[in-house]
Amino acid sequence: MATFDTVHESANIIPDVRPFAVRRFPLFLALSLGVIALLIVLHIAVGTLDFSPVQIVKALVDQAEDPLHRQVVWGLRLPRALVAIVAGAMLGLAGAILQTVTRNPLAEPGLMGVSSGGVLAIVIYIVFGAGVSADSGLILPLVGLIGGMTAATLTYLLSYSNGTDPIRLVLTGVLVAGMCSAFTSLLLLWADDYQVQRIIRWTVGSTSGRVWVHWETLYPIALIAIPIGLVSAGLANVLQLGDSVARGIGQRVELARLFLLFAASLLTAGAVAVVGAVGFIGLIGPHMARRIVGGDVRRLFPMSVILTAALLIGSDILARTLTIGWIGIITGLDIPDTAGLPVGAVTALLGAPFFLVLLLRRKHAL
Amino acid sequence: MQVSATLSPPMSPGDRRPARLSRVGVVALVLLTALFSIGVLALMLGITAVSAEEVLRIVFTDGGERVPRIVIWEVRLPRFLLGALAGAALAVAGAMLQDALNNELAEPGLLGVSTGASLIVAVVVIFNIAVPFGMLPVLALIGGLAVGGVILLATRITRDPVRMILIGAALGALFSALITAVIVLGSPDEIRVLYSYLVGSLIGRDWDDVRLALPWIAAALPIALCFGRPLNLLQLGDDMAEGLGLPVFRTRTLIFTVAIALQAAVVAVAGPIGFIALLAPHMVRGLLATTDARQVLPISALVGAVLLTSADLLARELFSPAELPVGLITIGIGSPIALFLLRRLFIRRTA
Repeated sequence: MATFDTVHESANIIPDVRPFAVRRFPLFLALSLGVIALLIVLHIAVGTLDFSPVQIVKALVDQAEDPLHRQVVWGLRLPRALVAIVAGAMLGLAGAILQTVTRNPLAEPGLMGVSSGGVLAIVIYIVFGAGVSADSGLILPLVGLIGGMTAATLTYLLSYSNGTDPIRLVLTGVLVAGMCSAFTSLLLLWADDYQVQRIIRWTVGSTSGRVWVHWETLYPIALIAIPIGLVSAGLANVLQLGDSVARGIGQRVELARLFLLFAASLLTAGAVAVVGAVGFIGLIGPHMARRIVGGDVRRLFPMSVILTAALLIGSDILARTLTIGWIGIITGLDIPDTAGLPVGAVTALLGAPFFLVLLLRRKHAL
Repeated sequence: MQVSATLSPPMSPGDRRPARLSRVGVVALVLLTALFSIGVLALMLGITAVSAEEVLRIVFTDGGERVPRIVIWEVRLPRFLLGALAGAALAVAGAMLQDALNNELAEPGLLGVSTGASLIVAVVVIFNIAVPFGMLPVLALIGGLAVGGVILLATRITRDPVRMILIGAALGALFSALITAVIVLGSPDEIRVLYSYLVGSLIGRDWDDVRLALPWIAAALPIALCFGRPLNLLQLGDDMAEGLGLPVFRTRTLIFTVAIALQAAVVAVAGPIGFIALLAPHMVRGLLATTDARQVLPISALVGAVLLTSADLLARELFSPAELPVGLITIGIGSPIALFLLRRLFIRRTA
C-alpha cells in the first residue's frame, strides 16, 4: 500500500484530481463491502416468506422467536446468498484477469471454454452417471471442475505454437466452447424429462436450491483461487503493457500468462461447477470496476471481485422476486403464471443491452 | 457460367483465363456427379434399403413397389433436397461474407449472425407465438439482420479481421445466453427439440420444409451470384475498392443482407448448421486456384450441397437406426479445420 501513501503526501502540493474511488480506495472498498452486507440481508429478506431485517439478524444470532425463521434463514437463504456472493466474486476476478491478460475488453470467464467444458462434464454425469439423485451435491461440482479445467487445458494446448497469442487463445476458446455445447445438446437427446430440467438449469446458471453442501464445495476452491488471483495482480499489471515491453522489463511472459490463465480457469471452473454457466456477469463486473477505479490491476482486481459479487447477488434478488407471468397475461403468450427466472437468465437479460452499448461505444479499445 | 471480361480476377493473369474456364467446367461436372451419387446413396440407405436401380426407377418413372416408393418420395427425397439447398445457400453466404469483410474466418456462425436468427426461432417456439409457418424465415431474417447490423457498424470501428471475429464471437455468446434464458421457460420436450435444432439438424424434415426454404433460396441465390464483381473489388481492400468507384459501405450492406437472407432461410428450417459456410469457399478457392468471386460463388454452392448432404448421410448412418443432428458432424469436422485456418491466419498476420 506504499503507493497510496505517497499519493496522499503529494496531494498537499498538487490537488489530486483523481476520482474519489481512486483517491480513497481502501475506504471505497470498505464502503462496497458494506453494500454487499446490505444486499445479503435484502437477499435473505425477500421470498415467499418475507422477513424484517430485525427478524433476520435475530435468526442469524440464534435468537429467533419462531424456530421456522431460523430454519429458513439458516438452512435455505443464508447458504444461497453466500454461494451467490462467492460465485460472483470468483467470476468477477476471473473476468478481470482474462480481460487484462488477453488485452480484450470483451473477454469473459467462459472464454477458454471453461464454462462449456464444465457444463458438458456435469451433463455427462447427470445423463450417464448411474443413480445420481440425492448425493450429487458433492460429486457434481468436482465433475464440473475437472471438465472446466480439461477444456481450458485443451484450449491452451491447441492455441500454443511458440508461445500463446492472446487473441488466438480467445478464438480457439470460442471453437472449443462451440464443440462442448454441441455435445451438450447431443446428450440432451438421451436425457429424460427430469434430467432435462436439471441440465437446463446448469446451462443457464442458477442458484436455486443451493444449500450448505454446495457452500462446502465452493468455499475451499474460492479460498485457494481468489488469493492466487489477487496476488497475481502484479504479474498482470506488467503483462498489460504488451508482450515485448513485459519481456523487456524482465518478466517471463509465457510463464506469467500461463499462471494467470490457470488462476482464471480455476476461478471460473469452481464457480461454474456450483452455480452453472452464469453468463455476462464476469464481463460486466470487471468493466464497471474499470470505470470506477481505472486500469491499475491492484485496484481493479479487488474492485471487480466486490462489484461482481454485488451484481450476482443483486440479480439473484431480482430472480427471486420477479415472476414473469404478467408478461404472459399482457401479451397473451404461453408463459406459466408462476414462472420464475434462474439467475443466469436475469444476468443475460440485464447484461445484453449493457454489452451492446459497450461494444458500439468503445471505439479505441477494439 | 458467364465470365465477363470487364475485370480480370485479382491475382490471376488474364492470359490464363481459357484454361481456368475449362477447369471450372471440369470441377463443376465432377461436383454434380458427386452430388448425384450422394443423392442416390441417400435414397438407397436406411432401414428400408432400396437398390440403386430401384431408386432410379422410383424417382424418374412411376414404377417401383409401394413401400419403397413412399419412403423415398415422402421421407428421403425431401430431406436430401433440403440438405442440398441448405448446403448451397450456406456456402454462398459464407463466400460472400468472407470476401465482403476481407476475412477468411468470416462465417455466419462465428459472426453470431446465425445465433441471432436462432434466438427469434427459439422465442417463437417457447412462447407458442402463433405465426404463420411461412413467416419463420422472415423472423429469422430479422434476428440475423440485427446482428449483421451490429457487425456492419463494427466494420467502421475496426478493419482487423481477427478483432472482427472477436466481436462476432462476443455477439454469438450474447445471443446464446439469451437463447438459454428463453429456453429455460420451455417444457422438457420443447427444450430437447430446441437443443437439437440449435445444433442444426435435418431429422424429419419433409416437403413442407422444402417448400418453406425453396422460394427464399431460389430468389436469393441468383442475386447472390450477381455480386461477383463487387466482391472481387472488396477483396482488394476498402480503400482500393472505394478508389475504383465502389460505394463500399452501401455495397457491403447489400451483400450482408443477401447473405443473411440465405442463412436465415436455412436457420428457419434446419437450424444454424455450422462450418459449411466456412469450409466450402475455402475448398473451392483451393480447387480452382483462384479467389475470383465470380467463379468461387457458383462452385461454392455445389461444394456446399455436396458437403452438407454427405454430412447428413453420415449423421443418418453412423449410429443407425439412431440419427444424429447433422450439425454435430459439421462441428466435429469443421472445428479442427477452423483451428487450422486460424493458425494460418495468424502466421500470415505476423509475417
